[in-house]
Amino acid sequence: MAETIKDLELVRLAQAGDAKAFEALVVKYQRRIARHVARYVKAAGDVEDVVQETFIRAYRGLAAFRGDSAFYSWLYRIATNTALNHLQRHPGDVLLGDDAPEERADAFEPGISDAEDPERMLMAKQIAETVQRALAKLQPELAEALTLYEVEGKAYAEIADMLGIPIGTVRTRIFRAREFIAKRLEPVLEPQRKVRW
Amino acid sequence: MSLKVSLLLDGELAPAEVKAALEETASDSRLRDRYTIYGLVGDALRGNSTPDDGFSARIFERMQREGARIERGFDPLSVMKNEG
Repeated sequence: MAETIKDLELVRLAQAGDAKAFEALVVKYQRRIARHVARYVKAAGDVEDVVQETFIRAYRGLAAFRGDSAFYSWLYRIATNTALNHLQRHPGDVLLGDDAPEERADAFEPGISDAEDPERMLMAKQIAETVQRALAKLQPELAEALTLYEVEGKAYAEIADMLGIPIGTVRTRIFRAREFIAKRLEPVLEPQRKVRW
Repeated sequence: MSLKVSLLLDGELAPAEVKAALEETASDSRLRDRYTIYGLVGDALRGNSTPDDGFSARIFERMQREGARIERGFDPLSVMKNEG
């Protein structure tokens, strides 16, 4: 499915007042937007503020979104403008030359205060390791479909063409791969859920 | 139904199926959980494995304070609240 129409139905529903549709988009994109904002903004607390402001602006501007670009591209531009506005209001937060934006983004952990939370850092590490271990144990055709989609950014139709399989098979392979990994992630996420998930 | 959650996340459902899938996912804590975890799997594969930890919930709280109509139907935290 083309990027421009990927989230279009969710956006249309949100434009028509369906709160759940916008919430689904927030949950889907919050982590990616946070990482993008962290390229501009220093403190984790400020990153979170800018992310929240980004989604508020997106919500308020939703009626103006016409679907000429992908929803995520539109959201990304709002996040960039919101981060730049934040820097105008807080000039001391401007990143300096040695602080490479890519490195900062890689290090960003949403919700972590400036005093790092070792428990959350450990959980992020455990999640990464569990996902990679599960991926290594997956049937190769399932791992291939998931990786092409999530890492290489290929559309379902492209994956079907590349692998010479029906699109329905792509759907089930990606789903089965996710389910396999999700089952292995659940025990890792469980302690966190008891506190706050 | 988890297959539909996977397709909902990827924007791969037929337009006519999206509203029903949204409603079904929001009303079933296991399916909401799957929506969140499938998203986390993708982000982790792209090198961002941070757990939600209430991040989405705080976005929704702020949006509600700013007057947005939010039902918390997709709030990962509300899954745990509903399960007690």
